[in-house]
Amino acid sequence: MGFVANTLRLNAEAQTAPLLSVDDLTVSFPTKGGGHNAVVTGLSYQIAQSETLGVVGESGCGKTMTSLSLMGLVPGRGRVTGRIGFEGRDLLQQSEKQWRDLRGREVAMIFQEPMTAMNPVMSVGQQIAEVLKVHEGLGQRDSLDRAIDLLKAVGIPSPAQRARDFPHQLSGGMRQRAMIAMALACRPKLLVADEPTTALDVTIQAQILDLIIELQEETGMAVQFITHNLAVVSELAHKILVMYAGRGVEYATSEQLFDQPLHPYTQGLIQTLPDPDRKVDRLHVIHGSLRVQPAQGCRFASRCPLASDECRAAEPILREVAPGHFVACVKVN
Amino acid sequence: MLQFSLKRLFQSILVLIVMSFLLFVLIGLMPGDPIDNMFEGNPSLTPELMARMRELYGFDQPLSLRYWHWFSAAVQGDLGYSTMYFRPVMAVLAPAVLQTAKLLGLTLLFSVPLALLLGSLAARRPNGVLDSAIGIFSFAAISLPNFWVSLLFIILFSVTLGWLPASGVPMSNDASFLEEAQHLVLPVAVLVMFHVGPLIRYVRAAMIETLSADFVRTARAKGLDERAVIVRHALRNALIPMVTVLALSFGHLFSGALVIETIFGMLGMGKMIFDAIANTDFNLALIGLLLAITVVLVSNLVADLCYALLDPRITL
Repeated sequence: MGFVANTLRLNAEAQTAPLLSVDDLTVSFPTKGGGHNAVVTGLSYQIAQSETLGVVGESGCGKTMTSLSLMGLVPGRGRVTGRIGFEGRDLLQQSEKQWRDLRGREVAMIFQEPMTAMNPVMSVGQQIAEVLKVHEGLGQRDSLDRAIDLLKAVGIPSPAQRARDFPHQLSGGMRQRAMIAMALACRPKLLVADEPTTALDVTIQAQILDLIIELQEETGMAVQFITHNLAVVSELAHKILVMYAGRGVEYATSEQLFDQPLHPYTQGLIQTLPDPDRKVDRLHVIHGSLRVQPAQGCRFASRCPLASDECRAAEPILREVAPGHFVACVKVN
Repeated sequence: MLQFSLKRLFQSILVLIVMSFLLFVLIGLMPGDPIDNMFEGNPSLTPELMARMRELYGFDQPLSLRYWHWFSAAVQGDLGYSTMYFRPVMAVLAPAVLQTAKLLGLTLLFSVPLALLLGSLAARRPNGVLDSAIGIFSFAAISLPNFWVSLLFIILFSVTLGWLPASGVPMSNDASFLEEAQHLVLPVAVLVMFHVGPLIRYVRAAMIETLSADFVRTARAKGLDERAVIVRHALRNALIPMVTVLALSFGHLFSGALVIETIFGMLGMGKMIFDAIANTDFNLALIGLLLAITVVLVSNLVADLCYALLDPRITL
């Protein structure tokens, strides 16, 4: 009886199991004194197929380290603990060889600054073709033909010529399109986009966002979209994770978060968005800085308008306050 | 590219002409002249006779006029006569140039790949065990005087172990290849060590910088293995600044060759220039020095052309 029930439950879980399931992820770096400094602490979230998760937070809150740990690319002596479930296996238990097979094939990444993220002395076409050579064993000519097709697919005009160009010969928007072509070459199941529009001007930003949405509809890939820009995330994310100082402070669907932000930090972030319909003398700011953190208790307490002794006593944990809406704040009922 | 090369060629010729004048004046200001040399220790020589000889060879004329005579002959291919060897300068220099070319060519053949290999290995884990070991080696190579290292090598490999000849070059033209190779092993080894020390440090620094670049992270994110990341992406970019360092190190290497050739008794360019200056052999010293300058100028030109080949962002 128990066995049957368990099997049924497992089957049900397998069907609805998200593509990516991050559990209690912690990334830390050794400090000079011999201790460890955690830049990401106890982070948990899921992304299902065809779903987009927006990860929002200010600079230095651990967004990039979170995404690099999905690729196994945390630099230097950084230590990653917890569990990164991807299609039922734990990526953190993988060998380096398994990581290499995964990178670029099942999980791909695009970066913030497409100029520095591309090799300046290799032609754009070769850089895309390289992925196909490694993962699909294509030869020089076949991989280059596919690279040209990919450049065409991301909306680059005269792709055959552009494939022969070097990165410095392309405009910023073109370069980011080429980066996307490179990332999508092997049709990855998960695309990690680390602030892909931050370095671009606003009109190009919109084009790149549209391209990502379009490609996601076509391929059904999951997207983890990292940004510090709430306006950007509102355009494409289904779910949003708000991070502060290495912790997840609010995790909800896009509608829930914008309709009813619960965490004071999220509320502050949304208030900082300028509203063109409302004329104000001064734009809203969240006072203080990320660097000033209390020794214990809630990490946001020193900047929080609601903070009380209760907040400084113990660090609040993420709890579900409405179906699918998680928040880490003692002031929320 | 062609226009650039022609422009640089023109500049180089101009530099050579200016340098030839400066060298001519400097050598002319040295105490003594070939006439002194010719009749050194000859008791039957009177000051009158020497004055007549000077007049005959034109040594009584002002330096600028003498330079003009030398220059107009030189552009017609007449580089003069060596007073030390009693043969035309070109005939004396040609075998010496060949000897030095062998020595420097072999040195570069080993030192550049070795520097790239050790520098890249050291850069993989800065301050790791391997990096420290390679660091000690390169600092030893930089700081140990090469004449002293030469002597130690001779003591160890020639005297104690008796594996290799201590000095000299096989004279006859039919010397076997093996015999010639044996004579080259020690001088090349010392020069490689002399050359590779600073190069390793440069490669290491360039590689550490390149390995932290965003595009290296992109290469890893594509799923490339570590060797492809380092060789195809990092090294290729780190090589660009190395081209300048290599070109500049060439002059340094040339000066090192002078010492090494003297110690190992090889009649190369370095030894020839040294002897020519010591024996006031004006013509030989002048052409030898100008050749050395030409080598530096050409290596700089080649470096600039290599830049354009290695870096698509640069068009000449």
